[in-house]
Amino acid sequence: MAYDDYLDGEKVIITAALTGGVHGKEANPNLPETPEEIGKAAAACEEAGAAVVHLHARRDSGERSFDRDRFQAITEAVRSRTNLVVQHSTGGTGATLEARRQSLRTDPPPEMASLDMGPLNRYRHLTSENTRGMVDSLYDEMADRGIKPELEVFNDGHLNEVRGLLDRRDLADPVYATLIFGGGTTSPPSPRNLLNATENLPEGALFNTLGFGRHQLPLTTMGILLGGHVRVGLEDNVYYGPNELAESNAQLVARTAGLAETLGREPAAPDEAREILGL
Amino acid sequence: MPDVCPYLEYRQLGDETQSGDATDSRPRAYCNAAEEFVQAMRADVCNDRYGLDHEADCEIFREAAGPPEGVEGEGAGGD
Ligand code: SF4
Repeated sequence: MAYDDYLDGEKVIITAALTGGVHGKEANPNLPETPEEIGKAAAACEEAGAAVVHLHARRDSGERSFDRDRFQAITEAVRSRTNLVVQHSTGGTGATLEARRQSLRTDPPPEMASLDMGPLNRYRHLTSENTRGMVDSLYDEMADRGIKPELEVFNDGHLNEVRGLLDRRDLADPVYATLIFGGGTTSPPSPRNLLNATENLPEGALFNTLGFGRHQLPLTTMGILLGGHVRVGLEDNVYYGPNELAESNAQLVARTAGLAETLGREPAAPDEAREILGL
Repeated sequence: MPDVCPYLEYRQLGDETQSGDATDSRPRAYCNAAEEFVQAMRADVCNDRYGLDHEADCEIFREAAGPPEGVEGEGAGGD
């Protein structure tokens, strides 16, 4: 994907990352956690222009859950209200590989699942390992169940890991990678680094842009201009403006959809996203 | 056998935070050492889930618990 795709007015896929697993309502009380809240938030995001929903599961206390049944309840809450492409997370700092597989085992399986391309640090003592063995193992289960991986690229080294995965496994076209920018082990957030990352993608790969916190708005806007797709939502950014908490995931999606339209790219509807992604 | 951190308790969100939704009655992880609600990911450490351990994996616990007995500070002990 490139600037030419922007000039050609290719539709933009907006992914809504509703809840995540790092922070909860202590960071923003509008962040959805229960299956009911997540289902409603997903419906509002579809209305606002999202085509894909990225899902994590929570316990009643708001803490992370890797329970298959909890993912089942969430996916049903979303599917009963929307036509969105359902994407489950397989991320999980500190969680076992077995726990992280559970989100792939819903009935039906998610159409997509995230696949972290390598390690990243959390807090002072935690690392999300994502060894090549774990990546291959999660990928193999996705392939068995017909789930398309979204390759999560937290830094430029992970672009090498994408190429390594493509050497080891036979991924269906188009390869879809999310380029992530923020602090810590993620790529430093800057326009130049987003440009560099897009130039290091494998031939023919599509990309999605994800910026944490205040980098969400500028970098996703740039992603739109570079012909890519974008991800927004309370998982990655709890603010709408400086010191202003976002009211909802849909508020963030609506702003992005409006920007895309202003810049000449219509948001893709869920079925159009399925076509673009080869689902 | 997993244990939980002695600094962990469960409280209603909303009493201590301006942004809390007072209608949400589900108790949430609260850290008495940091005197704040705990993020979802860190709550696994507080509860010693998935092989995580509050003593080994939480810097807040380590700071609150102080240096191990016999160690007086960073300068103590040679190599
Ligand atoms: S944040 Fe650390 S010190 Fe506080 S309750 Fe959790 S493990 Fe204990």
